[in-house]
Amino acid sequence: MTASIAETSLPPGIPSVDAMAATERRRGRRRFWTALAFMAPALLFVGIFLLLPVVFNIYASLTQWAKFSGLGEYAGLANYERLLSNPNFFTATARTVVWVVASFFLPALLGLALALLVKGLKGEETFKSIYFLPRMFSATAVGVIWYYVYANEGIVNTMLRGIGLEGLAQRWLYEAGLATPAMIITHLWQQVGLTMVLLLLGLNALPTDPIEAAKVDGASRWQVFRHIVLPLLAPTILVVVTVSVLAGFTSFDLVWVMGRDFPNRSTLTLAVNQYWESFRAGYWAYGAAIAVVLGAIALSISWSLGLLQQRLDRR
Amino acid sequence: MAAVDLSKLDFDAIARREQHTDTRKAVMLAMAVMLALAWMTPFYYLVVSIFKSNAEYGTGHPLALPQSWEPVLHNIYEAWTKTRMADGMFNSALYGFIGGGAAVFIAALAAYGLTRIEFRGKGFWFMLIFSGTIFPLQMYLIPLFMGYTKLGLNNTRLGMILFYTAVCIPFPVLVLRNYMAGLPREMDEAARLDGCSDFRIFRSIILPNCWGPMTALFLIQFTWIWNDLLFSMVLTSREEVRSLMNGLMVLQGSYAATTPNVVMTATLMASLPTVILFLLLRRHFMNGLKLQSL
Repeated sequence: MTASIAETSLPPGIPSVDAMAATERRRGRRRFWTALAFMAPALLFVGIFLLLPVVFNIYASLTQWAKFSGLGEYAGLANYERLLSNPNFFTATARTVVWVVASFFLPALLGLALALLVKGLKGEETFKSIYFLPRMFSATAVGVIWYYVYANEGIVNTMLRGIGLEGLAQRWLYEAGLATPAMIITHLWQQVGLTMVLLLLGLNALPTDPIEAAKVDGASRWQVFRHIVLPLLAPTILVVVTVSVLAGFTSFDLVWVMGRDFPNRSTLTLAVNQYWESFRAGYWAYGAAIAVVLGAIALSISWSLGLLQQRLDRR
Repeated sequence: MAAVDLSKLDFDAIARREQHTDTRKAVMLAMAVMLALAWMTPFYYLVVSIFKSNAEYGTGHPLALPQSWEPVLHNIYEAWTKTRMADGMFNSALYGFIGGGAAVFIAALAAYGLTRIEFRGKGFWFMLIFSGTIFPLQMYLIPLFMGYTKLGLNNTRLGMILFYTAVCIPFPVLVLRNYMAGLPREMDEAARLDGCSDFRIFRSIILPNCWGPMTALFLIQFTWIWNDLLFSMVLTSREEVRSLMNGLMVLQGSYAATTPNVVMTATLMASLPTVILFLLLRRHFMNGLKLQSL
């Protein structure tokens, strides 16, 4: 019988190094299983209802699935080629790009302007609540209200006629060039309160010392803002931009409700086009391909903004 | 801050600047008030419209005050019956309470596992759960609809609750993970030495310390579910199980042109619950936003 030196030289009652390591491994495994048990419900829900569908969606986009058959038949990239040759897809993409650009700049910009306007103002809390209130309404409700705001006899047209600008009265939601900007204005009315609150939180968390020091040194308000506040606020602004742009170009409810009367509603945005091609027309594989395009846009946006964020953090 | 050499300060300039600040403040206040009035105009329009009869709505200025308050009773009755609002309210409340509540609780469990127990590869498991937020919702629609049809979950309340629970889990996990990581460890370590199980520690020590963020998160998720249209459109078509917003959308589809006053009344009624919730629990909502920005 051979025993290791460690074992023989230890007094009785004290476990060997090997035994201790084994116990530790056992404990580590048990801790892992306990942790997994705590995470299990979340993993199951997310896995079954969110991640599995994403995988299945990508698979479906490579098949010939339409109406009631074709799910098993491989189609390669045919659906994606069809996208490129479909004028509806082209129009919807062009309008989606407008949404991406607008929701990249405007919510953060206007939110910052509002935040700077109300910060420290008398009645700040009341103003904040008023600007934030549209956010508590659903996009559906907001869409219905603004559908009437833009209606023929709605507020906008009545006001234009009231000040003698009959010529500018429009059928806002019916015209190809006007519908998207009109909807973006509505979207901004709903979202800007949120970006304002987020930016105010960021502004209030800024260190006061550098700002005070610059003021004592005689820096103008613009200089303080441009050279001290803005760089310090950059990470917050980036978060706000990311959230806004992702919510903006995938928004469906608002566009669907407001776009009721638009000729060929399915060209309003990619999100509407996707719903239309799959749930109205039954081209499931084709609709899945549009969803993949939307996913690719979303991932590339959040990926590049994430890289930018990392760079800011390192600074 | 560096000491200021008093002899070098230009007191006249400071006085001028303060004077300047006063006028600037007044101008800003005026701008904020005007903007607030503009912001409220659609709401004002909504509120006056519900007091107008169909004929009155059609003939008068959209912003004119109503001639009497009486038409509102008829409008409410019409809106309530045409959208089957009793069903819609019940369903939306059910989905919001159960879906939002279950999601936040499940997220708290996962956050406990991710922060209070030592094991390797935490980052991977967290990313697995959190990856549920990086895809646009459109990527879930077709597979969910097809899977639900296969499993018979289409047009069922259970199906709606299951999905809403799932989609509301990842974000609270992120928030609660950050929050729980900041809680002191002495308590649970002492409890563990006394032989308490992890579930006991979770229930009696961690959970009571997380009510604040959990309430805020629940309010955010509840509001999201209450306000969602897309998934109710895709996963339900029967009036008995569809959500309130779905009912509103259908009402607008059929009556937008003929009875705008009724459609507006339904819009206000469908929105009141979350708006009242916001006005009552404003502090919690704002706390929730604070969590979001961390």
